[in-house]
Amino acid sequence: MIRTMIKLQKILVTFLAVVLIAGGLASCGRTSSASGVLRVGNDAGFGGAETMDPYDGNRTWPTINMVFDRLIGVDKDFSPIPELALSWSSNDDLTEWTLELREGVKFHDGSEFDADDVVYSIERMIDPEFDSPILAVLGVISSVTAVSKYEVLLSLSTGEADFPLLLADYRALMTPVDSQATIGKTPIGTGPFKMQIFDPAGTTVLLANEDYFFGQPKLERIEVITFADSQSAAQALAGDQVDLLLAIDGKSSAMFGDEAKFTLQNIPSGDWNAIDFRVDQEPYGDARVRKALRIAADRQVIADTVLGVGGGVVACDTPVWSADPYRWDGDCAKDTEGAKALLAEAGYPNGIDIDIYTSDVEVHMVELVTAYKDQVKDAGIRVTIKMADASGFWDDVWMKESAFVDSWGQRPATQVLNEVYRSTASWNPTGQVDKDLDKMLDEARSTKDQTERAKKYAQIQERLFENSAIFLPYHKTLTRAMGSKVKGVEPIVIDAVRWEKISVS
Amino acid sequence: MKNLARRVVFSLATFIALAVVSFVGVDALPGDGCTALLGRFGTDAKIDACRKENNLNDSVVVRLKDWSGDLVRGDLGYSIKRDEQVSEIIIPRLRNTAVMAAVAALIAFPSAIVVGLLLGRYPRKLISKAVNQFSVIAMTLPEFVIATVLWLVLSIWIPIFPGVSVMPSNASLLQLLPNVWLPALTLAVVIFAHSMRTMRASVTNVQNMPFVESARLRGTNERKMIKRHIVPAALPPVVNVVALDGAWLLTGTFVTEAAFNFQGLGRLAIDAISDRDTALILPIILFGLAVYLVSSILADSLVRVFDPRLRSSNR
Repeated sequence: MIRTMIKLQKILVTFLAVVLIAGGLASCGRTSSASGVLRVGNDAGFGGAETMDPYDGNRTWPTINMVFDRLIGVDKDFSPIPELALSWSSNDDLTEWTLELREGVKFHDGSEFDADDVVYSIERMIDPEFDSPILAVLGVISSVTAVSKYEVLLSLSTGEADFPLLLADYRALMTPVDSQATIGKTPIGTGPFKMQIFDPAGTTVLLANEDYFFGQPKLERIEVITFADSQSAAQALAGDQVDLLLAIDGKSSAMFGDEAKFTLQNIPSGDWNAIDFRVDQEPYGDARVRKALRIAADRQVIADTVLGVGGGVVACDTPVWSADPYRWDGDCAKDTEGAKALLAEAGYPNGIDIDIYTSDVEVHMVELVTAYKDQVKDAGIRVTIKMADASGFWDDVWMKESAFVDSWGQRPATQVLNEVYRSTASWNPTGQVDKDLDKMLDEARSTKDQTERAKKYAQIQERLFENSAIFLPYHKTLTRAMGSKVKGVEPIVIDAVRWEKISVS
Repeated sequence: MKNLARRVVFSLATFIALAVVSFVGVDALPGDGCTALLGRFGTDAKIDACRKENNLNDSVVVRLKDWSGDLVRGDLGYSIKRDEQVSEIIIPRLRNTAVMAAVAALIAFPSAIVVGLLLGRYPRKLISKAVNQFSVIAMTLPEFVIATVLWLVLSIWIPIFPGVSVMPSNASLLQLLPNVWLPALTLAVVIFAHSMRTMRASVTNVQNMPFVESARLRGTNERKMIKRHIVPAALPPVVNVVALDGAWLLTGTFVTEAAFNFQGLGRLAIDAISDRDTALILPIILFGLAVYLVSSILADSLVRVFDPRLRSSNR
């Protein structure tokens, strides 16, 4: 018996030893943080279908913005600033824009950047055959011509005063002539970092572009590390395996309370959720019903419930987000009596029963309807929540059922209003036709004077609160988390962050 | 032998039947590879063109025929979404999961058998009962809880292992190894509890049987008794549990892989399902089927080796 025990003990010891040796091995393999190297955690995004082609639907964000530059960037206050274009001007009816390009800029392969590259890039963006997602932004461009080596002329199909802001879209990046075939895997840009290893499922490595026209980047290298889910990414930051997470789940922020080790930034963004009502289906054709459905809820409570306290900024059914210069803030407090009166007037004195479709295709979508249902019951609005399968949601439910949850990313005022609310827009989710609104949109975008234009955009948003079929309660606030040794990441939306200014001490 | 051959044929038939059911079942789900590729803003025209290009408009019978034909020739198919041969995506992930499973098995099974034997010999001792109860807790805890606790203890408090795996997708075995430990330990905790309890119960049961008593009366010494009589008689039920757990190690690692960002088959399966990448889902399902069928045949054959009674009855 004793000998048996000894033998068993030996086996156990061997296993312990194996584990300990493995531990030793493990610590060798541990990536340690070095100064000059920034490790950015990124979500899996497109599950292996990622490409570095910025115009492709599966573009790898934010890596594309490290490798390429736009013609025009955005400042902290969302005003356009020069990037590859030094200056811009338009004709009086805002349909022709001339851009002067920066001279002497080199692509990572040493070739020079000039007007031909701009023409090539923009023609790819607006190619109807290729049908890039950025076509929805820059579809107003009808042609692009090189006037000289450093000057391009862009003709628009309609006057657009905020055209420079549209060019500041994070995907409107400049790529070299004839790069379509190779750019997906071996991208050549003008940006602050050069691609070393492109590995979207694992670790992508980028090296500093020492000749960058805005000055040499402070970092030597960026590693973009892919995580399957947000929890494991948060664990990696806690364990010093990554330095920066661009967006963390609000619930994870408690993990990073130690201010000596971590920096948290809360950044209001332009991402929003909504409940859309199809005006071509009863009872949503009636503007009184639509308004009742929109004023019956306390938006602050909904935002706090769905996103967590401080997780969102209340919106009065305007898609224009809080930092946008055209933002309108109205009074949209909960008005139960007003909603009841409107419903009675519309022929529903005993309240109304409605179905709203949702799905866990994205975060917050199920929580939004649940919170909404609870909010509007006082006004006699009885909501039945219909759960749809995540995989079929965008094809079979969105824009098709009578009422459904929606989700959109940040866009400048002119873009979001024209893309979602214009009667003729392909993705107008409610099918609402409002010719007056269309006219107001045309007028606003063709007004050259900034103050006048801002007034017109405010009127448009006021009209949406009166008449639209989209209940839009909040814009989301993103939480960014990083190790405290990361410097130079300003607390502003990522589109305005300058990667070359970031350092790790 | 004849019995084994019958088992193999029967398993093969099961495999084929389930493969057909899986194909039809996955096909019946809403969406397909093209809607997955083109996403929310894919226009009808684009989706239609994509379907034509990939023969998705053919009837389910035609596609099943093509797919099974390819499969027989060793062609696992092509992922529209990932623009890559399925075998090239799956094989590296399969290797990673296999290494992790092997490490978990090497940690858990031998120690479970040893501990189960020790505890089973003295079922009434307090420690024996306590460990047994404790392992019930380990069994019922969800993997993500075990994963989080292990991460907290072995990566944050005592930084021995990397907390989540951070490695290139074509990682060499050397790059893979440090990342294997935490997920493997998580899986090991679950299967250790399982097989240890089975072993303990089996040993307790066997050592009171008449043949053990008779051996003891013949004066057989303790060591020989354990080796010759108790262990061989106690192992058959454990072998079955080990086989099931072993199969689970290769096919049930979704949660653990996601928790540690481990690039294995489980995480790939989650991605493939959420992407509706049917070309990728099917081979993973089939692999799981094959693992379970093979392991159950293996377990039954092994039990025969240990248990002479079964051998004689089948002669």
